[in-house]
Amino acid sequence: MNPNSKPRATVLPPLLLILTLLPLLLMPLGAIFVFAGHAGLPGLFQTLSQPDAQFALRFSLLTAFGAALVNGILGTFAAYVLSKYRFRGRETLNIVVNLPVAIPTVVVGTSLLLLWGPIGLLGQFLDPLGIQPMFAPAGVLLAHLFVTFPYMLGAVKPVLDELETTYEEAAYTIGASRWQTFRYVILPALRGGLFSGLLLTFAHSLGEFGATVMVSGNLRLRTQTAPLYIFAQFEAGNIETANAVAAVLALTSFVIFMLLQRVTQQRNRRAS
Amino acid sequence: MSIILSDLTARYGTNVVVNRVSLEINDGELFVLLGGSGSGKSTILRMIAGLTPPASGRIEINGRDVTHLPPQARGTGFVFQNYSVFRHMTVTENVEFGLRIRGVGRAARHQRSTELLDLVGLGGLGDRFPDQLSGGQQQRVAVARALAYEPEVLLLDEPFSALDVKIRAELRQSFKEIQRELDVTTILVTHDQEEAFELADRIGVIERGFLMEVNTPQALYHQPRTEFAATFVGGGNVLVGRMEQGQIKLGAVSLPLPPGAPPHEEDTPVRLLFRPETVYVGAAPPAEGSDIHTLGEARVCDEIFSGSQQRLRLEMHGFEGVRSLWPPPPYGRRVFYIEAIQTSDRAVALTRPAPGDHVWVGLRRYHVLEPSGLKLLIAYAETPGGQAAAAFGALLARAASGPTTLLAVAEAEQVAAARETLEELRRRWPGGPSPRLTTRVRQGAIAAEVLAEAQEGDYELVVLGRGRDGLGSVAQQILKRTETPVLLVQETRPQIARVLICTAVGEPGKTDVRFGGRVARRTRAAVTVFHVVRPGAAPWERARAEQHMAAAQAVLDTLGVAAETKITGQRPEGRVADIAAEAEAGDYDLIVIGAPAWQHPARSRWTDFASQIVRSTSRPVLIAPMVP
Repeated sequence: MNPNSKPRATVLPPLLLILTLLPLLLMPLGAIFVFAGHAGLPGLFQTLSQPDAQFALRFSLLTAFGAALVNGILGTFAAYVLSKYRFRGRETLNIVVNLPVAIPTVVVGTSLLLLWGPIGLLGQFLDPLGIQPMFAPAGVLLAHLFVTFPYMLGAVKPVLDELETTYEEAAYTIGASRWQTFRYVILPALRGGLFSGLLLTFAHSLGEFGATVMVSGNLRLRTQTAPLYIFAQFEAGNIETANAVAAVLALTSFVIFMLLQRVTQQRNRRAS
Repeated sequence: MSIILSDLTARYGTNVVVNRVSLEINDGELFVLLGGSGSGKSTILRMIAGLTPPASGRIEINGRDVTHLPPQARGTGFVFQNYSVFRHMTVTENVEFGLRIRGVGRAARHQRSTELLDLVGLGGLGDRFPDQLSGGQQQRVAVARALAYEPEVLLLDEPFSALDVKIRAELRQSFKEIQRELDVTTILVTHDQEEAFELADRIGVIERGFLMEVNTPQALYHQPRTEFAATFVGGGNVLVGRMEQGQIKLGAVSLPLPPGAPPHEEDTPVRLLFRPETVYVGAAPPAEGSDIHTLGEARVCDEIFSGSQQRLRLEMHGFEGVRSLWPPPPYGRRVFYIEAIQTSDRAVALTRPAPGDHVWVGLRRYHVLEPSGLKLLIAYAETPGGQAAAAFGALLARAASGPTTLLAVAEAEQVAAARETLEELRRRWPGGPSPRLTTRVRQGAIAAEVLAEAQEGDYELVVLGRGRDGLGSVAQQILKRTETPVLLVQETRPQIARVLICTAVGEPGKTDVRFGGRVARRTRAAVTVFHVVRPGAAPWERARAEQHMAAAQAVLDTLGVAAETKITGQRPEGRVADIAAEAEAGDYDLIVIGAPAWQHPARSRWTDFASQIVRSTSRPVLIAPMVP
């Protein structure tokens, strides 16, 4: 460590920082809980037990689990292929799989509609068969898979890149098959990356709004996720209800974030 | 035989990285592959383990052909330079991994891992994770892990080179003990001579993909066959003398051919190796009747004291005409160095020589390398150019007295006919069919096959025929993909008596002078070194050219080649016209030009220039690429 960058014991700069961040970050976070608590805990629980709210929260959690599961597998596979194989178009593919981070989520929603919607490129053939992925739970999952794809990849690929090829080769010469090598040697080495990738995917899916609002049709008790519910309730003027669900979302995200912090810290400690 | 490699070859793209390596390794032997970086030693090891597929050849382990088996099915244990110990497993789990894969029960696994950890000196550390161990300890884990499932052979790729010196020596010693105890057939790859000498039962010296020489450490040090082994292994002095009346002539000194030395023909070069510690250095000439051969007087140039010994660099007098291969002579200076080592107990005595002192030098022992000569590839074709190449190549081969390969490339149905033609040529070879002349017919496209032969055969010069056009695609391919000099022949010459070396100032200029001088020394030709100064050159450029020419003269003088130098101003038609005019005026038999290394940015401009020179004359042109 550079001796000049040693932390200095002082009060003023941190105080200034906190003061600046107060209106930007800290107060908005607090506001959610303050408002949610207006009617007291019993009021909060009552609001949350409404069927709409219950459905929205459950649907959101389920979708987030689904997205994390599917992208967990798909993202790890993609990371493995992109990291360990050399083939033509690898660079291009690398950029393409990371694109979802850069594309506005509303645009993602639109493009999904243009593909799977009733008059979409593929949808027009599926529609007569009675298959309508859009404005249905499947559509929401599709949108979330698209939007959260890069997170798993981004968490796993650097770990794989850092893993020397001799690591795998050692396993091969010892007699482990490709699958055994993956199962016993590579996968355990990826543990940290996998876990943080899953959490990131889950968290992003939980909060997804832009693409969801386009492809879901925002149908109550069918495709309405928690963020959509919050928005709808706000629009309808039910600020208390909106706040209750928002508080739950905020709390969940907070827990996930703490977990992530711990994993990263553990990994850093190992690395040093 | 535990491991048999036959004609093993590996390529990366068009580069041949391992070249027809054949090797047999005995049961329980500790064999060391010794070579510099990029020599192909690790690739050989990886091919044995199945981690790199060979381009051709065969690998046998304990009588089983494993050439095309996956690494899992070969039963090798591999230890990597970077340890590659599994970080998420404990030491015990690492060692037991191979047994777990093989379905060995828990108790048996545990017994084996405890045994092995005791053996490698890690007893009691089984529950640790690799990041709690030092580098040396991790490498011990890797060795135990590779030995756990009782592999048929153990392969180690630079296993100690990532460790610091003290731990390296320790680990080396304990590894040797482990290997002896388990009696496991082992190949270890290293670039470290000391390591090779300390560990090996036998050493294979490898260079640019060629297995140069295989022998015990003692034989490799005291009686190497090849110049490469002599200079790469241990420090040494290698001089080239001449065979005259059964004696080795080194300048004014005559030495007897030691008993058991390879036979040399009269008037051929003899390469003499003596190790620094066999050099006698004293204030007086060696006593009459002692078995020390006097070399002459020398001046001490340099002295390095390194504790147990004193290293001396001696500048010899009266060695004009003797070529020194090692230590490499400084370019352009008329000095001749010999390295000597004295043990300190003598060096600290009153007689300890200091720089500037004049001393007497003698040899206690010396060794004669096998005669080599210039290794030639002559590409024959039934064209006027091809026939001229064969005729001129024969002249050169006779003077160079080196191994020569006569190559023809033919379509499948003409192979037999081509073989016949080459046999005929061989019978009519000037001076009779030499045993050092081999013929080879390759099947396929000419350019590709000549290139492949040039790459695989480790030739020092490729002789090609040509028509009236410029460089030609074959020559361009060879110059681009190898560092081998190319000799282009359009019309042959009755003899090789006059050589014109057209030299540029700077680095490439050194290669053409050196190589041209070598050819002239072999053929006993007179050399003219020729340089064209561009019009309007500044005085400093002229001075630099003159300096360069003086250096060339010195190099050729020390080689014992009759040489003169010439600097001219450029004609209005350009440099090429100057060279062509000089070639005609002097009636030269051979024109030598240098070439920049092929990665050099000026290479394409240079290719045009070389083409023009080749087109401007019908005389043989030798192109010597710069060796970095």
